[in-house]
Amino acid sequence: MFYTAESIEHLAEQFAQLPGIGRKTAHRLALYVLKLSRDEVVAFAKALVDVKDKVRYCSICSNITETDPCGICSNPKREQTSICVVEEPNDVLAIEKTHEFKGLYHVLGGALSPLDGVGPEDLRVKELLQRMSDSVEEVILAMNPNVEGEATTLYLSKLLKPLTVKVTRIARGLPVGSDLEFADEATLSRALEGRITL
Amino acid sequence: MKFREVRLQTFRNHEATEIGCALGRNVFFGNNGEGKTNILEAISYLCLTKSFYASSDATAVQFGQSGFTVSAIAVSDIDVSYKIDVSYSRDAKEKKIAVNNGVIEDKSSIIGMFPVVVLSPENANVTSGTPADRRRFIDVVISQSNKSYLQDLIEYRRILRQRNRVLFESKAGQRTSQDLLEPWNENLIKRGSQISQRRAQFVQEFSPYLVDAYIRIAGRGEEPSIGYDSSIKTDNSLTIEQAQTFFRRELEQQRVEEQKLGTTLVGPHKDELVFEINGLSLKTFASQGQHKTFLVALKVAEFFYLREQCQETPVLLLDDVFSELDGPRSEKLLALTANLGQTFITATDEQRFSTASKQRNDFARYFVRKGKVTFAKAEVLTN
Repeated sequence: MFYTAESIEHLAEQFAQLPGIGRKTAHRLALYVLKLSRDEVVAFAKALVDVKDKVRYCSICSNITETDPCGICSNPKREQTSICVVEEPNDVLAIEKTHEFKGLYHVLGGALSPLDGVGPEDLRVKELLQRMSDSVEEVILAMNPNVEGEATTLYLSKLLKPLTVKVTRIARGLPVGSDLEFADEATLSRALEGRITL
Repeated sequence: MKFREVRLQTFRNHEATEIGCALGRNVFFGNNGEGKTNILEAISYLCLTKSFYASSDATAVQFGQSGFTVSAIAVSDIDVSYKIDVSYSRDAKEKKIAVNNGVIEDKSSIIGMFPVVVLSPENANVTSGTPADRRRFIDVVISQSNKSYLQDLIEYRRILRQRNRVLFESKAGQRTSQDLLEPWNENLIKRGSQISQRRAQFVQEFSPYLVDAYIRIAGRGEEPSIGYDSSIKTDNSLTIEQAQTFFRRELEQQRVEEQKLGTTLVGPHKDELVFEINGLSLKTFASQGQHKTFLVALKVAEFFYLREQCQETPVLLLDDVFSELDGPRSEKLLALTANLGQTFITATDEQRFSTASKQRNDFARYFVRKGKVTFAKAEVLTN
């Protein structure tokens, strides 16, 4: 698909780099931008630049923030005794939505994956260990339930256990509100593996 | 399970092909390279989400096209109708699978829903090739009958690749540390033992099916057997915990060697399936003919095993087997297919096929030429 205007091609090219955007959608978005008023486009462009200029990583938990330390780390109402370790900032949002967790976070910035060249030194592991003061009683490991997340959980638990801090992991199991019979076999067998004594 | 109709769009040789399938035996005649096997390959996409011989989806796209679609209407044994669509886009490098118009996120979850047994020239490797060829054989059978096995297998392969990377880097001197290896060990052991145990159990369950199938094809006189040689020394009598202990111990013993060679030396990826006839190793002692008989018996046994395990009759795909098998074996196999549910067969030589089929006319016959399929009435051709 070639349009006569080079700048449209160029913009579509940029959209196509975004995750989940294919070539056709990119062209549609580019043409949509053309229809917007100039003010709207400026506002859009400014929002893009602002994200890059204003957002940074919290110096304590490495979550994305505009103020350092971030809103969670600087909130005195949050329990300072527990830290929930997650892979990405998205995961913080997901857990926050539950309103269940009142403690602090630590964003690792990924999971161990030798194939992608990600080792412990590429994650914020050292920073996590530095946060293990006397006030921290529990570290909750909330990695993704995949092969890399599992390995990261095991790696961290090995590092944390000698520090006399309680190390827990989130449970893997069945989605709430669904029926047992509709669960896929893998989830069900993992749920059986992680069964708990009542 | 049976296919009512199969459609191929810009799939290999086929621009747009629609086949109204006979519920019994379907035979596709044509010269080499006209597109017979493509039809079986398309069915393989519907059942296994991929080709039974090509490793890349992109190669299945017709030359100059941007993707392909394979669709079908399938009817289960209890008469439930399914619409299956598999489409692949070369640009997006994306394959989509929909059942009854609902997109299936986890593609592997449809494996086993529409069980299939394939016998093609590539299968010769199962008896005469490498241990990896035999592992692939049992993996496909067990995956179709047990979903958590497939999930374990997918995870195990990923863990193995990650762990091998750590070992490789440590061998190359880039990083050396047992600490980096350890996080991968635990799940390697967990998933690996599960796989080995399941395979050992499978071999035991499968044996009677194999003996039975062998008699059907070769008659009595030769006793086939199948055994499982696991690198973690597991067998069916152990509990999963015991198997894990064995695995852990072997891994510990191979630690130095693994560091030296830079790869994982213990686990189900090192296992071997042992085939024997009358107690003698098939690989070492069997004739060409015995190899072929054994292979056909394995496939027939697979059919009955899957039918039992999946509670669903598999579709049978026989690709060019009549040029591989001699006269009597072809006849036996063809006679057998009369009672094996829906079968799709490709053949180049119509004359030979007619001889082998003893001129029976309960075959739906099709001719394939340059990616076009024409249906020919059976009676006309056999006269």
